[in-house]
Amino acid sequence: MSENVIETQDLTVYYGKHRGILNVNLTIEKGEVFGFLGPNGAGKTTTQRVLLDVFPPTTGKATVFGLDCQKDGVEIRRHIGYLPGELALYSNMKASEFFKMYEYLRGENGTKDYWQELANRLDLDTSRKISQFSRGNKQKVGVVAAFMSKADLLILDEPTGGLDPLVQQTVLEIVREVKADGRTIFFSSHILSEVQAVCDRVGIIRDGQLVATQRVEDIFAQRMNRMTLIFEVIPPAGIFNMDGVTELERADKSITLEVRENLPGVLSTAAQHKVMDIETHNISLEEIFLTYYSKDNGGSHV
Amino acid sequence: MFRLLVQELKFRRNTVIGWGLGLCFFPLMYIGIYPSVADEMAAFADLEIYAAMGMSLGTFADWVGSIMIVLLPLIAAIYSISNGTGTLAGEEEDGRLEMLVTLPLPRWQIVTAKALALAISSTIIYLIVSGVSWIVFLAIESQIETVMAGKDLFTAVMAGWPFVFAMGMIAMFLAAFCSSRRFASMISTAILVVSYFGSNLAASTKVLEPFEPFFLNTYLDGTGKAILEGQAAGDVLVLMGVGLASFILALVFFQIRKLTVGAWPWQRGKVEA
Repeated sequence: MSENVIETQDLTVYYGKHRGILNVNLTIEKGEVFGFLGPNGAGKTTTQRVLLDVFPPTTGKATVFGLDCQKDGVEIRRHIGYLPGELALYSNMKASEFFKMYEYLRGENGTKDYWQELANRLDLDTSRKISQFSRGNKQKVGVVAAFMSKADLLILDEPTGGLDPLVQQTVLEIVREVKADGRTIFFSSHILSEVQAVCDRVGIIRDGQLVATQRVEDIFAQRMNRMTLIFEVIPPAGIFNMDGVTELERADKSITLEVRENLPGVLSTAAQHKVMDIETHNISLEEIFLTYYSKDNGGSHV
Repeated sequence: MFRLLVQELKFRRNTVIGWGLGLCFFPLMYIGIYPSVADEMAAFADLEIYAAMGMSLGTFADWVGSIMIVLLPLIAAIYSISNGTGTLAGEEEDGRLEMLVTLPLPRWQIVTAKALALAISSTIIYLIVSGVSWIVFLAIESQIETVMAGKDLFTAVMAGWPFVFAMGMIAMFLAAFCSSRRFASMISTAILVVSYFGSNLAASTKVLEPFEPFFLNTYLDGTGKAILEGQAAGDVLVLMGVGLASFILALVFFQIRKLTVGAWPWQRGKVEA
């Protein structure tokens, strides 16, 4: 039986009269990498901050490791590595001093080998002062600090922000290693490709509401094909009226279909007419994401 | 908490050195210069304008009281206001506090460590200034007429510390209470300024006399008598009491503060109907 590391029930946060998040119900299982997708201001950071007891929810409840986030915040945070989205560091320290301080304040020992290894992999010079670092290097400091404790749960708010593509890949590689280690990652991002690359499940948050939660593999298993059939003579209307198929566009000699299922039926129907060419393409996670955010369809499911 | 306290003290190391050395200007300048202005100052002994500023310059003890007890704590309080508001509201605004509160530390420990670091750092600053005052006194002792000894001066200067402590804790409370560091600094500074002028005016104006107990400077006696005999125990207790009460309020309001939001306590989230 799966064990929920994070569980929220109708989690709602209001900043005065402004909505932060609204009735967010979320479960994240042990050992999974959960991607939290949404544009800026959607409520990703707010959700993560409630879990860390930076502030309490207006209503609703959140538990981490079965413990109440507000009552047992200290015990919960002992097992969390956190990378904030708005990273602020003590700039007059060297990176190595910062990691020592971080270890010291967490009451831990013996993390040096690991943070040194992480710093090497991210090509971070720990002997330099943080004030001399570029934004990307500061982000690397945050990434190392979040991972160095080998915490059971990692809450990462846009971890690859400001990093160059090579380093982004290294961070994603480290995420995969953490997953392989059986630890859990709650990963917020608006970069779809990285979510697609490392996450088991994704939650899509829009205007403070969790509009969908799905396994990444399920999204791709049920992902639709967009197919354009080019005929010598356009067939009569309605021939593709079948379950799981929607006619999107009809031109002089071509019909564009959205095929969710019943591909054999589409092909056999098309074969009864003289097909000149077939163009297909899979809809990417990005397109699915955009569908959720489409104002026109109110973010309806794909 | 001890670990955080150590870290907070490390953060303040340079500031303490800077403020400690900077405030040494007071004893070096004002005590050092006394032998050459002693006769002129005696002539100003009874000027009302000085009395209105809480000063009396007739004797060396009066002079020391006016400078080291009336003025020095006002300047040192700027350190405690800046540090008290900066360490909570300032770090919240620049994002560093988020790193701290997401560590496995209870909030009361964070406030306590920061308050202790502020108290200890202001004590060190005062020890530096008091020590330098003693040294300067030894250098001029033979040129002045006074019944004071070097250690009396040291103790007299240190007696200004409870005021600085109280102002620091008020600033911390306001930092935990107000929506931003700007408001906390503004209100703390207003309290400092109003307290200084208010206590002096209340002491010299019959109409304002009933308000005298409400001004913090009332509990800081800058007269020569207090320099020679020490501050009244009751006054010290009031200042320490105000400091401790403010610290407790800081604990309470930091505990319920919606960090990173920058809201006043009454601006808690409400679900719209």
